[in-house]
Amino acid sequence: MSGKEFFVNRYERLGWKFEDVEPRQAIRINVTNAEGKNLEKRLRSIGVQLEKIPFLETGYWVRSSKVSVGATAEYLLGLYSIQEAAAQIPATLFTALKDKAVLDACAAPGGKTVQLADLMGNTGAIVALDIKKRRLAVLSNHLERCHVGNALVYHLDARQASRLKLKFDRILLDVPCSGNFADTEWFERRILKDVERNARLQREILTEAVACLTSDGEIVYSTCSLEPEENEVNMDWAIKHLNLQIEEVDCHGQEGLTDVFGSQLDASVEHCRRIWPAETQGFFVCKLRRRNKR
Amino acid sequence: MKPISDFALQVGAKIILNAKFMAKKGRRYFLLNENLKRLIQKDFYYAGTYLGKAKNGKFFPSFNLLAMLAKGEANKIVVDRKAAWLFICGRDVFRRGILAVHGSRRKGDYTLVVNEFGECLGFGKITHSLDAEENQIVVKNISDIGDFLRREA
Repeated sequence: MSGKEFFVNRYERLGWKFEDVEPRQAIRINVTNAEGKNLEKRLRSIGVQLEKIPFLETGYWVRSSKVSVGATAEYLLGLYSIQEAAAQIPATLFTALKDKAVLDACAAPGGKTVQLADLMGNTGAIVALDIKKRRLAVLSNHLERCHVGNALVYHLDARQASRLKLKFDRILLDVPCSGNFADTEWFERRILKDVERNARLQREILTEAVACLTSDGEIVYSTCSLEPEENEVNMDWAIKHLNLQIEEVDCHGQEGLTDVFGSQLDASVEHCRRIWPAETQGFFVCKLRRRNKR
Repeated sequence: MKPISDFALQVGAKIILNAKFMAKKGRRYFLLNENLKRLIQKDFYYAGTYLGKAKNGKFFPSFNLLAMLAKGEANKIVVDRKAAWLFICGRDVFRRGILAVHGSRRKGDYTLVVNEFGECLGFGKITHSLDAEENQIVVKNISDIGDFLRREA
């Protein structure tokens, strides 16, 4: 239940022929900070060539660069962030973020927290949690660099979010997951039991998130795992056990799988989006809300 | 909030902060908005806009605070592209890299360092009068945004 052959065989059974690909480097412009600053021109002048990512409003591929894009003045001034293209999708799926109370339940290192703040125009409030204290320092640096002013950060396990006694209009669950083979040693390290353990943890986080969600609130769930147990199967479980429904989304990616190794999932699971690795890393994203609440 | 207003004065700026919207965690100071003020709980790790920290009687401003101060009246030098890059790399500022001076030009004073776009890169101490003709180091780097990279190393 481990090894490259085992997992590659699983992917083929799910309809994807394995390809060893490397995701392209991508950046996301922090519009709140970069507005009117002609960032593309500034980066071009120092040898950074960008290419618009067709499925993202503020995302760009780094086509070529004479400098490290993580060490330019523009980066250090928070005018843009380095953020993998697929990872830029989840925060964009929420509706009407301005002035909302938003929970980013597994926030570190903070790329999506900063993106949420940007989409909110630094209005409302983001409560960002992470279970690992040392990762909070990285998150805080990210918030300071990007001049985020609407976030509260707590050292707290997402499974205990209700301790805050707050209700949230929008909840981002970019949950801890098994990752994918963009990490070169992935196949050597992962076994199916890890996937199952992570899927259980993800269900616990989902359950807690629902307890913190306002009646008409939205949850966006995402992973960078290719394993259906952490993705479609968990969404099917959420429909059946948490009284959630899956919303249709208009974004990059293929429909979610509704037949997973012979098991039929709820038909609405097809509204999820699954991205097999190509120009981006492998990714999964889904938008949920309470059933029949609109 | 005295450490913050005292620091502002050192760079020739004034800042008025509503104490009601300030939060302190250990030695670190934060500025909240109304929503955060309503939601904040005492065991927070980071909140709103980080302003800086006080340690051993000295105040270490955040880059957010420096950017806030640079938007108003303050001691500022505007540096050219090369000097800006060197400053971010931790280097001091030579006279020839300065495009404009606002506020104090006097040795011993503190000044913000901004690039040609008016963006604050950090601050330093004037080591030779900014009126000096000869090309020498005139502003010693105290803190610059390259620190974000050094913190990660």
